[in-house]
This record gives sequence, C-alpha cells and structure tokens, in this order.
Amino acid sequence: MNKRITTLTLLAALLLGLFALVPKLMELRLPGNDEGFEPNQPIAYSHRLHAGELGIDCQYCHSGAKRSRYAGIPSAAVCMNCHRFITASRSAVRAEEMLAEEQGREPNRVVSPELAKLYTAFGLGPDLLPDPALEPRPIEWTRIYSLPDFAVFDHRPHVYAGVACQKCHGPVETMERVRQVRSLSMGWCVNCHRSPQGAGVAVTQATIDCSACHY
Amino acid sequence: MSDKRYWKSLEELDARAEQAESAERVSPLEEPIGRRGFLLASGFTLASGVLGGCSRSPVEKAIPYLDQPDGIVPGRAAWYATTCGGCTARCGVLAKSRDGRPIKLEGNPDHGFSAGGLCAVGQASLVELYDSQRLGAPRLQGREATWDEVDREVRHSIEGVVTSGGRVRLLSDTVTSLTEQRWIRRFLGQFPDGRHVVYDPLSSSAILDAHLATHGHRLLPRYKLDRAEVIVSFGADFLGTWISPVELTAAYRRGRDLEGESPHLSYHAQLEGRMSLTGSNADSRVVVDPGDVGPVLSQLVGKVADRAGAELAGFGAVSASAVEEGVLDDLADRLWRARGQALVVSGSESVREQVLVNYLNELVGAYGATLDVERPSYQRQGDDRRLAGLVKEIQDGDVDLLLIRGVNPVYDMPTPELAEALEAVPTVISFSGSLDETSTRADVVCPEPHFLEAWGDSEAVAGVVSITQPVIRPLGRTRALAASLSAWLGEPASALDLIQDCWRDEVFPRAAIGAFQTFWDRTVHDGSARVTAIPTEVGPFDRSMVRSLSGGAEPDNYTLELYPKVGMLDGRHAHNPWLQELPDPVTKVVWDNYACLSPRTAKHLDVGQNDVVLLELPDGAALELPVYVQPGQHDRVVAVALGYGRAGTDRFGTVAPKWLEGKPTVVPGATVGTNAASLASLEGRRRRYVRSGLRVTPTGATYDLATTQIYHYLSVPEKLAPADGKDRPIIQETILPEFLEDRSAGKPHMHHFDSDLWGEHEFETHHWAMAVDLSACTGCSACIVSCQAENNVPVVGKDEVKRRREMHWIRIDRYYRGDEHSPDTVHQPMMCHHCDNAPCETVCPVTATLHSSEGLNMQVYNRCVGTRYCANNCPFKVRRFNWFNYAHDDKLQNLALNPDVVVRERGVMEKCSFCVQRIQEAKHTATSQGREVADGDIQTACQQSCPAQAIVFGDLKDPESRISKMRQDPRHYLVLEELNLRPSVGYMRLVRNRPTPASTPLAEGEEGSHHG
Repeated sequence: MNKRITTLTLLAALLLGLFALVPKLMELRLPGNDEGFEPNQPIAYSHRLHAGELGIDCQYCHSGAKRSRYAGIPSAAVCMNCHRFITASRSAVRAEEMLAEEQGREPNRVVSPELAKLYTAFGLGPDLLPDPALEPRPIEWTRIYSLPDFAVFDHRPHVYAGVACQKCHGPVETMERVRQVRSLSMGWCVNCHRSPQGAGVAVTQATIDCSACHY
Repeated sequence: MSDKRYWKSLEELDARAEQAESAERVSPLEEPIGRRGFLLASGFTLASGVLGGCSRSPVEKAIPYLDQPDGIVPGRAAWYATTCGGCTARCGVLAKSRDGRPIKLEGNPDHGFSAGGLCAVGQASLVELYDSQRLGAPRLQGREATWDEVDREVRHSIEGVVTSGGRVRLLSDTVTSLTEQRWIRRFLGQFPDGRHVVYDPLSSSAILDAHLATHGHRLLPRYKLDRAEVIVSFGADFLGTWISPVELTAAYRRGRDLEGESPHLSYHAQLEGRMSLTGSNADSRVVVDPGDVGPVLSQLVGKVADRAGAELAGFGAVSASAVEEGVLDDLADRLWRARGQALVVSGSESVREQVLVNYLNELVGAYGATLDVERPSYQRQGDDRRLAGLVKEIQDGDVDLLLIRGVNPVYDMPTPELAEALEAVPTVISFSGSLDETSTRADVVCPEPHFLEAWGDSEAVAGVVSITQPVIRPLGRTRALAASLSAWLGEPASALDLIQDCWRDEVFPRAAIGAFQTFWDRTVHDGSARVTAIPTEVGPFDRSMVRSLSGGAEPDNYTLELYPKVGMLDGRHAHNPWLQELPDPVTKVVWDNYACLSPRTAKHLDVGQNDVVLLELPDGAALELPVYVQPGQHDRVVAVALGYGRAGTDRFGTVAPKWLEGKPTVVPGATVGTNAASLASLEGRRRRYVRSGLRVTPTGATYDLATTQIYHYLSVPEKLAPADGKDRPIIQETILPEFLEDRSAGKPHMHHFDSDLWGEHEFETHHWAMAVDLSACTGCSACIVSCQAENNVPVVGKDEVKRRREMHWIRIDRYYRGDEHSPDTVHQPMMCHHCDNAPCETVCPVTATLHSSEGLNMQVYNRCVGTRYCANNCPFKVRRFNWFNYAHDDKLQNLALNPDVVVRERGVMEKCSFCVQRIQEAKHTATSQGREVADGDIQTACQQSCPAQAIVFGDLKDPESRISKMRQDPRHYLVLEELNLRPSVGYMRLVRNRPTPASTPLAEGEEGSHHG
C-alpha cells in the first residue's frame, strides 16, 4: 500500500516535471545549431544602411569570398576608405551646421559615437589625428557563421557558381544587426547540393562526396 | 632451388611456418573492464552527452587585421623561397605560410642544386621553430639578460683580450654564408691571434685533405652522380646522410631513368661493412670490413692501373682476402670500360684511402666529368687537424676567448675532458639557440634565430648563391651571428643590411645582371641564383702521395663503425619528436640507437635482439647497448648510430598518451638512446668513426627496442597460402638485360578474372591515382615526415609504437630477399591504395568510409565510431586508429598544425587521404581561374618531398596525364592484384642493373650465396 503511494507520487512528480519542461523542450535544437544567433557587436554596424540603402556590394568588404576559403571580415582599413571623410550621419552633420550658422561660428567636426570606436581602434584621437596615448588595436567582432572544425567550407566554388550570398546568409541588406538565418546543418548543405538548380545557379551538379567537406 | 621469397625480419625468416598472426590485426585492448569501471564510464558518457547536447556552440571572436597587408588573404597560403638550415647541405625550400605562420616546408624545384626534393630532416626542421625550449633571450652567466648587457660584457672581454694579445678561437661547423664569413674574418682580424676552426661532427675532412695532396687545393669536389655510368662507393652513404643527400639522390635518380624510349640505368656497387641505406639500393653490394678497405682499394687501384697501362709500384703485390678476386676484377673492368663516366666515392676518414680513391678517379677519367673540382662544394669544410690542435689548446688552458657556433663539442667530441677544460677558458661565448651540453657551460649565450625567422645567405656549392628569408616574426629576442659580431665591432646593423652590403660587394659583381636591386629581388623571389664561381686553382694530379695500403682488420676482434642515422645525423635534431619517431630506413627502429650485429655474430655471442651487450675499446672507452641483428652486415663489424643520448631528451617522457599501462618513452633524467660519440676518437689528429679492436660481451640484461618492421604484414595467412609456397607477388623485380628484352619482365603469372562480384565503377570527372617507382625509391623516408607535417599526424611515443600503434599514414616496407648474410633489399612505400573495390568500405557499419565520385576512399572522421572493422579488413594494413587524444598540450608546437586538415580525436580511424585538401585547393584555384585542373597541379605531400621523384599522382580520366601513361607501362603492376581490389596505387617494377645470372663471376658469387 505504502509502496503504491510512493510509486504514484513519483510518477505524478515525473509527469508534472515533464509537463513543466515541455516549453523548454520545444526550444531544444540539435547541438551546434545556432540558427537565430544575433549577438551584439562591438560596433553597431548596420548592414541595412551599407548594403541595403547605400547598396555597397557584399564583396567590396568581404573580398575574400572570391579568393579564399573565408569571405573574411574586412580589416578596419577598409572602413576608413569612406570613414576617413564620413564621420557621422548626414543629419547629425546638418544639425551641427545649422547650429553653427545660428551661433555664427565655423561648424565643428561631428563624430558619431559608433565611428569613434573605429577611430579609437586605429589609435586616433577625437581630432582624427594619431593619439600617442592610444594603442592601435584590431576590432574583436563576434563570429556568427561558424562551422565545426571537422567541416570545411570554401566560399570560392560557391561564388564562382553564382550562388547569391543571400542564399545562405539571408537578407543581410535588411538586417540592422546580422542574425544567423540557417541552421548550417549538413542536411541543409546536402539538400542544396543534390539539386543546385534550386539555388538559382546554372550548375547542374554539385558534389555530394563526403571528402568535399570532411578531411 | 634457392629461396626467392621476400622477408621483412629475421624472425619471419626463422619461423615462416608460424607467421605472427597477431600482426594481422590491430591488437585489441586486452584488459577486461570491471563492473565499477563500466558503470563509471557509462554514467560519465551519459552525463557528458546530456551536458554537451544542451549547449550552444562556443562563441568565437573574429579579429581581422587593422590594416591588411598587401598580398595576404586570410585562409590562403603564401609560399616563400628560402634555404633549409637542417644541415650544412643548404637545400632550397619553399615555406608555406598560412596566416602568418609557416606550416610546411617543401623542396624548391627551381633551386640551383637540390632540384625539388627535401629530406626528412629538412621537413622536420619546421617543428623545431615551435620548440618551446628554444632560448628566447640571451644569457649571461646562467641568467637571462638583455642584448645591451650582453654586448657590454662581451665588448669588455674583447678589449681585455685585444690588449693582452690573448688567443681567440671561433669554433664552428661549416659556414656557407658569405656574410658570416666576412664578419668572422673582420671580427677575428682585430685580434693579434684570432683563428677560425671549422669542424663537422660528420666529418669529410679526409676528402678535403686528400685533394690537398693530389690537387694542391683543400676542396670537396662536387659529385655528379647523374653523369656516372658506373658508381663504386666504399661505405659512402650518399643517399642517406653523406654531404648532400637530396642533391645526390636526385642526381643518382637522373642516372637511373627507366621511363621513355631509351631506358638508362647506371651501375652502382657498394662495398661496406654495415647495411646502409645506400648499400640497400646498390645493384651489387659487397660486404667488407671497413678495416680492410685500404688493401681492397689498393688492389682495385692495381687492377685499374693495369688496364690503364699506368706504371705503379707496389700495387700488384697487395693481396687482400677480404673480397674475392673476381669481384674486384669485375669492378675494375666496369670502371675501365666506363672511363669518363665512372665515379668512385668513399666515406672513409683515412686520408691515405681517400688519396687512393682520388687516384682511381684520375685513372678512370672522373675529374672534369663526374667530379667537379673547379666548381667544388662548400658543404663540408671541417678540418680535423686544426680541431685536434684547438682541443689541445683548450686543454692546455691557452685559449682566452672561445666562441662556439653551430656545434656541440661537449656532446659530440670523444674527449670527455673537454667539458672541464671549457670551464677553465676565461670567456666562452655560445651562439646556440637552446641550452645544450656546450651552451650550458658557456659564460655568454647569444641565441641565433631559427632559419625560418631570420635573414641569411649561403653559397653551398661554388656558383650557386641562395637567400634565407624570414617567414615569421622572431618568436624570441634572438640575433643572427653576423649581427652579433658587427655589434661587437661597434658597427651594429640588422642581419638584412649586413647581407645586402656583403652581396653588393661580393656577390653582385659575379652576377650578369644590370642593377643590384633587380638581382636581389629576383634572388629573394627565386630562392637562389647562379653566379660566376670563384675559380679554384687546381694543380695537375700529383701521384706522389699515392701509396698502396696493406694490413687490414685484425681477424680476432670486432671493428666498431659509428654511423649517422637518417634523421638523427650528428644529434642536432635529437629534440625533434618527428625525427625521433621516424623509423630508421633499414632497421625500422624508433626512439633508440643500438649495436647492429650480423646474424652469425649474434649467434656466436649467443645474443638476440634486445639483449644488452658491452662494447669495449682498447683505449678503455666502453658502452652498453641493446643488440639489433642486422642482415647483410659484416660478421666482424658492430655498427652504432651517432646522435643519440642528447641531454634534455627526457622531455619526451610525456610525449606518449597517459593511461594505466602506458610507459614513458624515456624516464626523467635519462636520455633517448645512448651517446656513442665517446667511442669515436681524435687519434692522429683525425676524427675516427671506425675503431678496431672492439670487444663485445653480453651483459645478460635486456632492453626493449621498438621496431615497426614486423608490423602490418601483407603476408598470406598460413591457411590461405598457395600450395607452391610462393610469396604473393607484392614485390616484383627483374634485371636490366631481361627488362631491355621485355619491358614486362618480372611479371608473375596471374589469374585472369572472368567474373566480378562488383560492377564497373564509373568516374565522371576525375579518377585520382598514384604510382610509385620502386626503381627510383631509395627508402630515404622523406615522404613519411612530409606526410606527418601535412596531415597533422601525431607522435605517439616509444611504448605506443611497441604496441603497433604508430600513426604514420605512409610507411616504407623494407623487404629482404636471399640469405641473411647478403640479402637483396627492396623499399616499398605503402599507403592507402584507395581501392575501387575497397574491402574496408563494405564492413563499416556506419558508412564512415566510402568511395567518392573521384575514386577516393574517403574516411569521415565525424561519422566514425571506431569499430576498427575496416582496419581488420584492409589487406594493405594502412589504417591507423586513434587510441587516444594524442598530446597537443604544447601550445607553441600546435602552431605547426595544418589548419586545412582536422586534428583527429580519440576513437576514430584515419589513413592516407591522397592529400584531399590539396586536391580541393587545386580544384578551387582552377575554378577561380576559369579552367580545368591540369596534370601536375596537384602534388601530394609525399610526392612533393621525394628527392628521387619516385611518386607520381594524377588523374586517370585524363589520357594524356603522366599517371595514365605510367599505368599503361608494362613495368606497372598492382600489389595484391589477385584479390581484385582495383587499387588506385600501383608500382613500377624494380629493375636491378645485374647481368643475367651465371654470365659473370660476380653474379655467380651472389647466386651462390642465395643457396643456403
């Protein structure tokens, strides 16, 4: 009798526990699946602005995609190609100009707080001149698209086959902050390799050899 | 009927009937697991599985350059031409740099003399760059110091010596750098009594001295093996360790080319006491006690002089019983017939013998044809007599300032008193990059950088200059020799400036090019340049020193022969784990040196392998070493390898995985192997590696050697053996006359397959395949280390090797044939054959190994669960299982890992992948250039490093590719063809340059010895 009560209680507790865990279990995904990963980056760089509004080509910054296995994250010097001159948004500059006109003085240089981080990385002071107190330090971005070490992905064949960047990376040009939109699971890779036409490319055949990615 | 079967070890020969069945499989874990252990393990597995499954991937940082340098693309390798610093041969290398760190060295095909290959030592010298025990800062009186402190201290000493007029000596190995020579001259020039003493731990001093006697100039000729029709070598291991093995192997190979319309094979006879790598490749090998070489040479000189009609007194009378008269007659005939295209070489340290060798070369017209004395080699400049003089000076306390560079005399000199005498020298400055036996006794240590992190230059052979350029920012505060010397002379400058200055003054005027900058840039880009050689004044051949040698070895005692081993050389690479675990090409022993005895001698002494014997010399030097029984060795010769027993090698105590039954490779305080340099001598002011009067006594103790030679048999299990007792035709060979008549000579009778269980395999795009030319392969083992570097193959330690768990993806099977006293030797590289009908693929329960559409047998590590069925079912025994997570604790050494290849974890099977990462890279590169992969685009790591170019890789779908043509060659055969495996790796039959049996006395003698 006593035993039965214990058993029943335990069973009930187990069921209750499982029930409580259901929402948690629904969220569970396979190990390594980082779909939806959207970390804060050290600089609030907006792909929506640069790739979307301004229409800068993806490979202007990620120039490794055509030349290397990694598309690569651009060196800060690439940012400086434009941001040597553009130090703040147009509206901020306009506001300062208007304020200066009101006060009858020369407008000051406006530096947006996010771009200030870029200049600090180069060891430049607020006046955009080298500041000996600042040590140049590369920017530590958080990596979003990352494969496990036993899988090798090479950008080159995909770029040359004409696969659009968005096919795997999603509509980055609409993202304020980049989010991983695919699971990067093997099944997802292989499905596309089985019927590459679906990716909108001219290639009729893509390899499904294990050794294409695993070595 | 003589026994024509091949065998790998004496045990196999003795007990053919009971072929070790255990060798057929990867040995199972023998210890049963208890209940508690099982629960512990299963509980832990469950818990870790749950914990692991719940976590997201670790968050990684992506840190781009602040300003990316031009020409660098992250993820793409850049190649820089530089010069190897592994030994004094100074071969040209290309260093592969990935993201700022060198990860692989390869031979430079455009280099002036090394012609594209790279030896095992050169390959492995990469890992020494990342040696955490290298000195990162100069040392003063045993503590770390700054360069300013060191410079002050050294300048102070120099001033003292200059005013007192004391003696200054710079002791170094061969210096081929022009800049260093210049600064050494200037540095020593400031002292009233300053001298540079050069010695090579592996000395060729006798050759130089002999040329001084016969040609009036102390020089080392360049050996043009490719121009020689007949090569007679007296103990010179030119394919293994002698002077410049890569260059000589490449030249030897060019003289032995069987492809094409007019096959051509030089004749190589080796007369030696031990079984050297070179001897194992000879067409004719004659076993001679090195103590008897003098009389044998005299006799040969007499016979050749007879044929040449040269008048020579005293040579006819010499009769040596060491070699049959007929053999020498045959050699004399061949040499004389091939005059102008013949070459005699000798590794002897006796000047009198070398003078005889020179005379032989003069008689057969080698000078100017196969020997170049006008543009000599500078790769060995050591002078033993000056060395002996310096040792005496040091011991007498006559040296006031001693600088030591590139050598380790406390370790490699046979004079133990030297260590104490060094303490008495007022100032000793060492340039050693690590704390070795000598530099720990130095007052000042000024570490030099590794050759991959420094600028340097070299003229290793007259007329070929090369540049060493840094491929990585120096890992420590090191400084090149020339920079140190210039700083002490009060003209501090960087090594690069010093080299450019020197080149502007000394090299550029010799180059036929307009502007210095053009010349410099081109040389840095190409790695080497040809310039006009500084003419060497050579007199007419002086016969006055030619004397016949009589006497010979004492028949009652043994002769000790100390030899350098491939990889270990003089011991400078003893701290290199890759080289320590490289099986010796002949004995296949790893991690040790030993006393090689002939089978008959071992029987006579009643010792076997692993029994320890005491070696005693008349001068009292003694050493205990384990025995290794070496077929083909002279009965009176005991051979011991140099280069072992280096201080600090107990660091390898932790190289093996730690587990319950694991034994350390070396216990703390001990060394790997035993230093045999104490058995050498400096008697008669000459380094002697051959000592007579040796006594050998068994001690009764035993010591376990780890040898891979009996692992991974391809032999047939007894039950399945064919009734006629014949071997499987794993090795196929023939002789030249038969080959010339029929290109398919040596092909055994094969079953024809009418039906096939497997269907035909369709390969649409590529079908990768490889062919190995057994006639070209010398067994030098460069491919093994190259593969190790390319594919992140771990080092497992001696104990694991003893358990047959070595991880090398490519091994070289060494077979003997004939009787154990003078066997024929064959080296057969063996790697995954990528069979179309692969037995491993059918047994894998999780399809972790399967076939690719390009004919590759793929191994998917992330799918493998480690059943090891595939290894059991592999007829070639080329699969390796990761029993452990092998040590990657050394963070610095991990920088040598190839990022393009996965580091495998415990519990997965691995094997040769045909360097699939290179195939992929070549395909992607071709795609990005809008073309197809061309023949020759892909070179596997083993193929690239092969100095003999014995390995060819390519696409069978391309009918014009080299591999397709080789497959059509009648000399091509497949190993285990009778199993219908359809392997992608084939071999080209071995052809020996031997006359048809019974046509000459030599062949008769050889055949006779086969009957036993």
